[in-house]
Amino acid sequence: MLKFTLKNMMTKKVKIFLIVLSIIISSSVGILAYNIAEQVRSGIVNTAAYYDIIIGPAGSSTQLAMNTMFFTDTPLGTISYEYVEELEADDRTNTVIPFAMGDSYNSARIIGTKPAFLEGKELAEGEMFHETFDAVVGSAVAKTYGISVGDKLVTSHGLSESGSSHESTPLTVTGILETTKTAYDNAVFTDIETVWSVHDHEEDEHEEHDEEHNDEHAEDTSENEAPSHGHIITDSSEEKNEEEEHTHESGTVCAILVKSKSFSDYYEITEEYGKDSSLLVINPSTVLREVLDNVDLSKQIVYILCIIILIMNVFVISTITLLNMYDSQKEIALMRLIGISTGKVNLMFLIQNAIIGLASTALAFGASRLCIMLISKFVSSMGIVLDARAVYPLEWVIMAVVFIISVLPTLICTAHISKKDIIRN
Amino acid sequence: MITVHNVIKKFDEDTVLRYKDLTFETGSSYVLLGSSGCGKSTLLNMMAGVISPDSGIISFDGKNMSSLSQREKDKFRVEKIGFIFQDFKLIEEMTVEDNINILKLEGVSTEKTDEVLSNLGILSKKKRKVKQLSGGERQRVAIARAFVKQPEIILADEPTGNLNYAIGKEVVRQMLEIAKGKTLIAVTHDDRLAEYFDCIIDMNDVTCHCTAEEVNENA
Repeated sequence: MLKFTLKNMMTKKVKIFLIVLSIIISSSVGILAYNIAEQVRSGIVNTAAYYDIIIGPAGSSTQLAMNTMFFTDTPLGTISYEYVEELEADDRTNTVIPFAMGDSYNSARIIGTKPAFLEGKELAEGEMFHETFDAVVGSAVAKTYGISVGDKLVTSHGLSESGSSHESTPLTVTGILETTKTAYDNAVFTDIETVWSVHDHEEDEHEEHDEEHNDEHAEDTSENEAPSHGHIITDSSEEKNEEEEHTHESGTVCAILVKSKSFSDYYEITEEYGKDSSLLVINPSTVLREVLDNVDLSKQIVYILCIIILIMNVFVISTITLLNMYDSQKEIALMRLIGISTGKVNLMFLIQNAIIGLASTALAFGASRLCIMLISKFVSSMGIVLDARAVYPLEWVIMAVVFIISVLPTLICTAHISKKDIIRN
Repeated sequence: MITVHNVIKKFDEDTVLRYKDLTFETGSSYVLLGSSGCGKSTLLNMMAGVISPDSGIISFDGKNMSSLSQREKDKFRVEKIGFIFQDFKLIEEMTVEDNINILKLEGVSTEKTDEVLSNLGILSKKKRKVKQLSGGERQRVAIARAFVKQPEIILADEPTGNLNYAIGKEVVRQMLEIAKGKTLIAVTHDDRLAEYFDCIIDMNDVTCHCTAEEVNENA
């Protein structure tokens, strides 16, 4: 039966290929949309706002949250490190983490911070950074660039890969993080001092170079390089093109992540620092919830589109199936005339369509994973980590529905045809 | 032995076929001649259990076909009857061998395939797709499929209808050759082929056309 069914299918290769392709496209779009929406959502949830306050330069709260939580977007600018010291000395805070970002290693962002920033994250190998120029790399970065403990990383200036290299100040890899399925997998972590030192060293070299070749500009250069230590804000709106360079300034950070001791402490700190118009104080949970709401809205739109695509495909699949079955009428009548029972005819077409349905859904699943892998390469630099191995229960439901849709109408059709007047066919 | 007794088949209120009693002896070959619409093919289809008579009895060795269920009729058709059609009823995209192997779906042995194909002179075409064959070759494939299962009765509905006379004559000759010892009932329009059969039945004398009302009056 199976052998004959397969041979029979081979006589309709083009038709079956089109049916399978149609089912693959429709169902993989549905599976893909749902999977990505779920992974983005769980990614945001996993990056649970451990910190209840983030303080940064005035600007967009979403940009500040995305920058510090997912290492995406460009930093708003910098604020003085004295804020960090001030908050560390504050009895109302439990944890205060400085956050600086500006350089990169290939497409991975370099995060200047404290080891406490990686609290709760396991190290796959090596140890945490302790000294200046030590670095801990995320698992995806290590895997992508074949990095192991002890390697030297020559970072680039700025957040693009085309920035100038800090060849004289390479970072030494002391550890590699376990995979977290979060933005941490795509970043390199080092001490805040490292970020400053790289920058200072670079500036010294520039200074020497300038003094040697252009004494006339020496005065200007030294003014620009003076470390800023007051409560000075480097306003990103002033010179957007130089924004990234400002984030390296000694004694400055892009943001401060704070965990307060209590609700009242949270409100007091928020209110106190919120009064400073040069600062932006946000609650990451609130901002992330807003982001999530937007993602949810997008997800709903994607779902609606998916449903429309699936409904359209039900019609397409049904039409192809009906045409296919119309073609098969003579075949069915022929088999009935020579004495093949209705049950055997039905069974043959059931097997045939079950094979088509199974192959289509399996290939659709494979296609969706392949798409996730491809998309993941593009979005990983944005801090979104997509795991092709992540499968959600509803995906199985979608596949089951697709399978039923591809088998059931044909089965009904076959049963109907095989009971018709076989002489007339 | 096949007997047809007082069989009536209604198509609609104005088209009713009534058959006189007929007997087909085992091991003989019969050809049914007659004008179009006289009920030749209808009789074959009723004998094969493809359609049922509205009344009367068609029996095989005393067994009434009407008393069989659809499943039993299918089983009877696949085991006892080899049916050959004017339009071959073959799957064009499949090979000669696969067209014969369809019978395996019902557990029918096809071990005689090579022998039958050889007798019909088309063994070399076994692996060819049916669509690559000529009309005469296709009809031989259809005959082979009917004979492979070694049926007791062969029903051939216009087996030469799509063939020219020369090829038709050759096909009939081969069909009769391998049907020796079996009951063969063929329908044809071509009087010239009738001479090859043991018995000729003019269906114009056997059937009569009437209306449903007339059937009821005579009942």
